[in-house]
Amino acid sequence: MMNQTPPTIAKLDADAISLESVSLWNITWRRLFKRKSSLVGLGIIIALVFIALTAQWIAPYDPLQVLIGIEDVKMRQAPCIHLLGCPQDQPQHIMGIDGNVRDQFSRLLFGTRLSLIVGFSTVTFAIVIGTVLGALGGYFGGWIDNIIMRVMDVLLAFPSLLLAIAIVTVLGPGLINALLAIGIVSIPSYARVVRASVLSVREMDYVSATRALGGGTFQILFMRIMPNALTPLIVQGTLGIGTAILDAAALSFLGLGAQPPTPEWGAMLGSERNQVFTAPHLVFFPGFAIMLTVLAFNLLGDGLRDALDPRLK
Amino acid sequence: MMLQYILRRLLSAIPVLFGILLVTFALARMIPGDPCRAMLGEKATQATCDRFIREKGLDKPIHEQFFIYMKDIARGDFGTSLRFSQPVTRILGERLPTTVELSFSALLISMTVGIPLGIISAVRHNSWVDVLTMVWANIGVSMPVFWLGLMLAFVFSLLLKDTFLWLPPSGRVSAGMDTTAFYVAWNLNLPESGFLRAIAEFIGRLNILNSLLTGNWELLRDSVRHLILPAVALGTIPMALIARMTRSSMLDVLGQDYVRTARAKGVRMNQVILKHAFRNALLPIITVLGLSLGTLLGGAVLTETIFGLSGVGRILYEAITARDYAIVQGFTVVIAVFFVTLNLIVDISYAYIDPRIRLN
Amino acid sequence: MKSKIFVLFSLLVVASMLLAACGGGTGPGASDDVQDSGPFVAKKLEAPDCDSTGIIKAVEANDQYTVTFTLCQSDPAFLSKIAFSPFAIYPEEWIERTAGETTRTSEGLEKPVGTGPYMISEWKRGDSVNFAAFPGYWGEQPFAKTLVLRWQSEAAARLLELQSGTVDGIDNLGPTDFDVVRADSNLTLVEREALNIFYIGMTNTFAPWDDVRVRQAIAYGIDRQRIVDNFYPAGSEIASHFTPCSIPNGCVGDAWYEFDAAKGRELLAEAGFPDGFTTKIYYRDVVRGYLPQVPNVAQDVQAQLKQNLNIDAEIVVMESGAFIEASSTGQLDGLYFLGWGADYPHITNFLDYHFGPANTQFGVAFPEIYEKLNQGAQIADPKQSEPLYIEANNAIRELVPMVAVAHGGSGTAYRNDVTVPQASPLTNEQFAVSNPGGRGVFVFMQNAEPISLFCADETDGESLRACDQVMEALYGYEVNGTAVVPMLAEVCTPNEDLTVWTCTLRQGVKFHDGTTFDANDVVTTFTMGLDASSPLHKGNTNVWEYYDYLWGLMNKPAE
Repeated sequence: MMNQTPPTIAKLDADAISLESVSLWNITWRRLFKRKSSLVGLGIIIALVFIALTAQWIAPYDPLQVLIGIEDVKMRQAPCIHLLGCPQDQPQHIMGIDGNVRDQFSRLLFGTRLSLIVGFSTVTFAIVIGTVLGALGGYFGGWIDNIIMRVMDVLLAFPSLLLAIAIVTVLGPGLINALLAIGIVSIPSYARVVRASVLSVREMDYVSATRALGGGTFQILFMRIMPNALTPLIVQGTLGIGTAILDAAALSFLGLGAQPPTPEWGAMLGSERNQVFTAPHLVFFPGFAIMLTVLAFNLLGDGLRDALDPRLK
Repeated sequence: MMLQYILRRLLSAIPVLFGILLVTFALARMIPGDPCRAMLGEKATQATCDRFIREKGLDKPIHEQFFIYMKDIARGDFGTSLRFSQPVTRILGERLPTTVELSFSALLISMTVGIPLGIISAVRHNSWVDVLTMVWANIGVSMPVFWLGLMLAFVFSLLLKDTFLWLPPSGRVSAGMDTTAFYVAWNLNLPESGFLRAIAEFIGRLNILNSLLTGNWELLRDSVRHLILPAVALGTIPMALIARMTRSSMLDVLGQDYVRTARAKGVRMNQVILKHAFRNALLPIITVLGLSLGTLLGGAVLTETIFGLSGVGRILYEAITARDYAIVQGFTVVIAVFFVTLNLIVDISYAYIDPRIRLN
Repeated sequence: MKSKIFVLFSLLVVASMLLAACGGGTGPGASDDVQDSGPFVAKKLEAPDCDSTGIIKAVEANDQYTVTFTLCQSDPAFLSKIAFSPFAIYPEEWIERTAGETTRTSEGLEKPVGTGPYMISEWKRGDSVNFAAFPGYWGEQPFAKTLVLRWQSEAAARLLELQSGTVDGIDNLGPTDFDVVRADSNLTLVEREALNIFYIGMTNTFAPWDDVRVRQAIAYGIDRQRIVDNFYPAGSEIASHFTPCSIPNGCVGDAWYEFDAAKGRELLAEAGFPDGFTTKIYYRDVVRGYLPQVPNVAQDVQAQLKQNLNIDAEIVVMESGAFIEASSTGQLDGLYFLGWGADYPHITNFLDYHFGPANTQFGVAFPEIYEKLNQGAQIADPKQSEPLYIEANNAIRELVPMVAVAHGGSGTAYRNDVTVPQASPLTNEQFAVSNPGGRGVFVFMQNAEPISLFCADETDGESLRACDQVMEALYGYEVNGTAVVPMLAEVCTPNEDLTVWTCTLRQGVKFHDGTTFDANDVVTTFTMGLDASSPLHKGNTNVWEYYDYLWGLMNKPAE
């Protein structure tokens, strides 16, 4: 009789369940694609990732190569585009030459790598730590929650850029330290998101059911509660990548982030900021690149938020 | 009920304040290097710096310095700047008006542009106005503020140089401008020091307010012109945020049943928007305003650097570089306490507006 | 018996009179006689002996208009030093009144009183310092009745303000701005002579810098002309010697090595590094006159080292304070970028500081260099000391403790109608002699805000420039030059061995507060600056850097 657990029904159920999850994903993707802006964002991001992966082959020059003595170009020379009328005998530099006589376009392309790495790594770092903290606080409540939330409050009490500046000053200038600083400063928002999710489902039936069935704390946390937090995390994270890229650019602008000769957009902007009137192309292009990247992530994040929003079902 | 909530929030603010003091002190002291070498640069000698550090009490064990620091704060003494030999509170008082003026103007711009834009796009949902606004808002949020500032300066200070649209690239007022404070112009006999005097000096340094009080139209025109570029640069991100937030919360509210009912009952669209929908959409907007102040102070460092304004953010950044511990600690604590207070007010007004929150 | 007692007694009296007369006195420091408003009572500052002071033993007012400086050693650079801004003379009543508990009072820090052509009318913190012409000035009245000093840290913004006409002159043009100013017919460019040096340091206590051949290889292997051409503004030049040539004896001896990459590689191979080696380049990202584009130069040097000598150098940016501490104590194990700007225009300011026996920044100091320097510092006449400095410079070249790269020029720009446009090599512009096109208000924009206006205890050029308009010292520097000219002193003459300098003061000079300038003001000023035990010795940060470094403080408390 034991083997007579109705397999048919179970299978049917399984099918029904999987059908449902498939259609949930389907719905999300479809809704995402419906919004043109999020498509644009996604498209830009894919293009950026492509550039980041293939920079070595696309870039016309080595980003670190100083062209003194190799080509007859002047420092901070304006862009020369053959298609737009620049004489053929001059070497083509579609975004001009930078302050160390290097090709800016190549540096911009390689900078994509850095910006994407910056964005993903800081957000991942902040999400991992923030999730742990938020989950612990939300689930256990009591004094654990209190302490964690107070620490988050202290972090949030400082303006994020100033706190990041202070942290980088303590650790020393450099891209890794800048990432660490930005990551630390971003933790509270993710901790809060996760904590809120945990709180909202903590008392729900299916959680109690799992507990009744003998599930351990971690099992409950990670199998039942966390998936709930996934949605807001994804949204927050995507938007957070944009903020992280902006913060890293700000730190590099101030000379605290990426160090020379690294081709990071914020650093490129910062080192040429006093030439904004005499060589505006050196300020315009890196800034535009930053803006485009952050815009892409913001559009995608907005789209994800709308697509995953349960209320809009 | 309300009182309990307020008390609870106040109580939880205390450890946060202590945490702020601790973190500020720790960060400030963990910065490598010392103020002597920061000040003298390549001219610093070991003997000179040893003497300097000893005289300023910086060679005492770190926990002893922390206790002294806490004791002083409790007495309201935020310390004396190592570089300027002035009390930190005095320096703060001198710099705060600049930042306040800048932040307020930025916030004003962001609200007066952002909120109407948000409302319009919510009402004309999915129309070209909506799309355009949201594209613009998204771009605004994505722009690095230092880039925007530089581009604005490029356009308005260089390209439009000999036109009437020209705007000055830096500073608060033009040289030689008469900035007499209102209490001097009105011949008020204020005491030389004390609370009243401090307030009056503060207001006197708010150029726009001061010019209005003294009827100095030259100064008004000059300060406004100097303020436009930095305020726009600083206010663009909050403006975009406010526009998006207004739009989404208006959309939320407009989709509600009671709005449909009101319209079904024949209430005019404008009335619906203003009287019912907007007020209920206010809550998230207030949140964004509160959060924006955070962006403003952080972004103010960059804007102040580019436009040559000596505000709180700029001085704090320079103090970090110069290892002027008193200023770093004092300013940071003041800013942080300000934020905590702001959060408290926002939370309490939340609880006031939405009773469900109190019961949490 | 009686006669013996009498003799003893008279001896005692004479002895005590002698003791009272020469040094010692009742205690260390100045003997402050009570001053009535009556006949002139001369003041005197004196150290008990030459162990408790630096160079200056005593400053004494002989009469109302004569001051004598007695030194513990001969100082050929006395006049160059005494003209320096921090040693400007303050009125004695003002000094006494503004001496606070531990620091000078706010009034002391913000409203200095001097004898200069301008007075401080208001310092609007964060905005500007405003000056008004001093009607009672002993010299020529300033052309502009009002002077306004403003500041802006971004070079591009400074230039824009000049082009818009909102300021009359700006300091420190950005590297690309020189061409812009030259091309603009409404503006005048004034190049500032470079009184500084940028060098690449090596600490010889670390390998491979302990081998002189490696150090020489670096000297051969860097194309300094390329660096100057690309990253320095006009008016800069590669360094033929450590000291700029405008300073007497700066450029005597053999010139620095010519760029020769092959020779460099050869030397490296000799030293055991045929394939180069790995090292680091340390620098701090701070703009200085000797190195305006730090990261760019660092990257170029890195590229050159690789290209020319096959040396892999990793760039390490350090925090300024940490960098200074590490470099000055000789702890950096790689190449490091540092420089020096002149405080006073004398060779001792450059060579003695860096290559003297006490300096550990290059590792172990070289007696071949410092012995010559010590001898040279005893001789006043540059012609006489020339052979010694030839030897010293040649020794520096041979031993290569560092690679001298460039003297960084800078530039100021003014509107066309400003007369006597100035770019003082010592950043000692005296705006009183410039006429801003008849406008009556002169607006000058510098890099940063002054830290305080009590320049006796300040080191930053921005503070000193503000004070220079208001204060005067016994001597001064000529407009746009480094030669000293008498200012508050009509002349200061030394004795045979340059240990006693007697200054005859100018008469009929008034301070801004109406008091008359006399010898007691000089003595009180130096008491305030030199005597660490005096209650008047209160400043801003109380480091008294220049009083200490150029003269040496008196009666320093025991360590």
